Amino acid sequence: MNDPHLEVREGEAPFRNPGWAGNTGEFELTEADVRGDEYVGTLLPDGGHPGAAPALPYILADKDPDAPLFEGPYRKRIEKILSRYPTAQAALIPVLNMAHELRGHISDETMATVADTLGLPHAYVRGVTSFYTMYNRRPVGRFLIQVCTNISCNLCGGEEVLAAFLAETGTELGETSPDNLFTVTEVECLAACGFPAAVQINSQYFENVTVEDVAPILEHLKGKAG
Amino acid sequence: MAYPYTHEREVRMLSRGWGDPASRSLAGWRALGGYEGLARAFELGREGVIGAVSDAGLRGRGGAGFPTGLKWSFMPKEKAGPHYLCCNADESEPGTFKDREILRWSPHQLIEGCLIAAYAIRADHVYIYCRGEFFETNLILARAVEEAYGAGLAGTDILGSGTTIDLTVHQGAGAYICGEETALMTSLEGDRGLPRMKPPFPAASGVFGRPTTINNVETLAAVPHIVRNGAAWYRQWGTDKSPGTKLFCVSGHVNRPGNFELPMGFPMEELIEDVCGGIPEGRRLKAVIPGGASVPVMDASECEGCTLCYEGVQEKGSMLGCASVIVMDETTNIVKQVRRMVDFFAHESCGQCTPCREGTTWMARTLRRIEEGRGRVGDLDTLVELSEQMTGTTICVLSDSAAAPVISSIEKFREDYLALMPGAALAGAS
Ligand SMILES: Cc1cc2nc3c(=O)[nH]c(=O)nc-3n(C[C@H](O)[C@H](O)[C@H](O)COP(=O)(O)O)c2cc1C
Ligand code: SF4
Ligand code: FES
Repeated sequence: MNDPHLEVREGEAPFRNPGWAGNTGEFELTEADVRGDEYVGTLLPDGGHPGAAPALPYILADKDPDAPLFEGPYRKRIEKILSRYPTAQAALIPVLNMAHELRGHISDETMATVADTLGLPHAYVRGVTSFYTMYNRRPVGRFLIQVCTNISCNLCGGEEVLAAFLAETGTELGETSPDNLFTVTEVECLAACGFPAAVQINSQYFENVTVEDVAPILEHLKGKAG
Repeated sequence: MAYPYTHEREVRMLSRGWGDPASRSLAGWRALGGYEGLARAFELGREGVIGAVSDAGLRGRGGAGFPTGLKWSFMPKEKAGPHYLCCNADESEPGTFKDREILRWSPHQLIEGCLIAAYAIRADHVYIYCRGEFFETNLILARAVEEAYGAGLAGTDILGSGTTIDLTVHQGAGAYICGEETALMTSLEGDRGLPRMKPPFPAASGVFGRPTTINNVETLAAVPHIVRNGAAWYRQWGTDKSPGTKLFCVSGHVNRPGNFELPMGFPMEELIEDVCGGIPEGRRLKAVIPGGASVPVMDASECEGCTLCYEGVQEKGSMLGCASVIVMDETTNIVKQVRRMVDFFAHESCGQCTPCREGTTWMARTLRRIEEGRGRVGDLDTLVELSEQMTGTTICVLSDSAAAPVISSIEKFREDYLALMPGAALAGAS
């Protein structure tokens, strides 16, 4: 019992687990820790082993709504994805994920392009896209802030954190701020329930977020937006 | 640095190496004995591996606790085409946060488990179906997969055994229902994640119409240790019916929430009081959900003497599920929390079955009305009746899951519901 994390002293603030990509404690991971230097940018989007293809970082810092969807390196990526599945239909979700990453949302035109690329009926692709909650059907802000309010986070102040994000950004749920920086939504359990409140901002998790952390997080994001 | 929430009573098997970024790499995992289990598996042969896992008594950690060795033995011995292994990494049951820790701290542990399982069931390809939200986690896993390919641990002729196994990291796109095994397969095929009727069972006709086995991340992560050290070694922990260690995800009102790897059968009171440092500010315990949002709620008296293993929690009328222990203290508004869980199930219902689609929405609406002080005493009977109609009548058990917290909370916390109803006391409710 000499681990400092285990000592709860009388009268101190409740213990907070040092989080993942979070703002607390010495346990902060940098992007390089997570991805390794070689993962930031250089393997985009056609590098790496095809086994990792559907999950490789086509996580782009800046969305490019006008990028040609399935040309050049992106075409190569689709071919890699296709090589991992026995049917073209099975590549649909990985390919939609890629398009979503690139464009930030899935428009009707994107769906049509995906359908034609994979030889699937347009209505089918529309049906699949609308089934999955991660696909934004309209553009969102530069930062999509998703706050978990499911039970574990709810018990520990998730709703208050959500309210603070809405108040500080001056938006309504699901609305984008006038400067196009922030869209705040509520999300179901992010599988980080021991680190409440769990918040996902774009691809990154912020954990142990309290109402007091909201303003500094937004400042940090504004700094990143430049 | 130690994993932030270690405790002296923890066992370090699955959580070995957590907290040390070095153990994410192949070299780091090898330094902890990694891939020795895989080499041992090729010595034991397929039947030997299945025998060891059966003898160890490993049970599925995805929630149902089905014996893993038995599940593997259902796979056909003769091959008429490809076999598949799906690793269920779609972790999204509220209260559950263990698989993500395995994925991000020891991805090679999972990969090794996948390879051994795939070898045993003659699978040609392993799809690791990862939750869409896990971007960073998936990157860590993807990088480990590349490393495994680079080191000849995946692909053709693994470790000179003549066995070929491919691994693919598949990223989902956000849908709780895709964690259900048949929905996972439909989703992997590129469709909406709709559960299918069983039979046919996956071992006969699974993903892409081929024999398939689906296992949870934690289940597969335990396999290398069992194969390397033997069934008797694994059985040093746990009970006869629930051998081994388990990752307990504790959340809610405790001083130290987190993941703790403990022997099966660990007493719940000690988990809360000792390992998790008790309830903040000395408040009293009100209720515990022992296995994630889909299992019945327990009241404080049921928690007394409850041991955390499949049979121990069942004796107390609930289920161990994924051992996601959600602790609620006396300040908790039970009706609100149950409503929040039902909202979740209503949102996640795939809509194929009427009792589930209509039932979850109706329950959510009724609960919200009660929460807002506009409930009627008759509502409780309606909710119980509705819950009964939603149990055992649908394609998958999401519907049963949604009903469980409702029925159990009305039974155990009826007073809390009545307290929100104007005039309930006068009406002589019960
Ligand atoms: C609605 C629903 C959601 C589920 N979600 C998950 C999940 O996220 N992860 C998981 O491993 N199992 C989940 N399961 C259980 C799986 O269907 C399946 O039983 C499990 O993956 C089998 O693996 P195991 O035998 O190793 O436990 C879910 C089941 C249902 C009915
Ligand atoms: S029970 Fe609910 S989630 Fe399961 S198949 Fe039926 S409608 Fe879909
Ligand atoms: S309940 Fe918020 S992350 Fe699980």
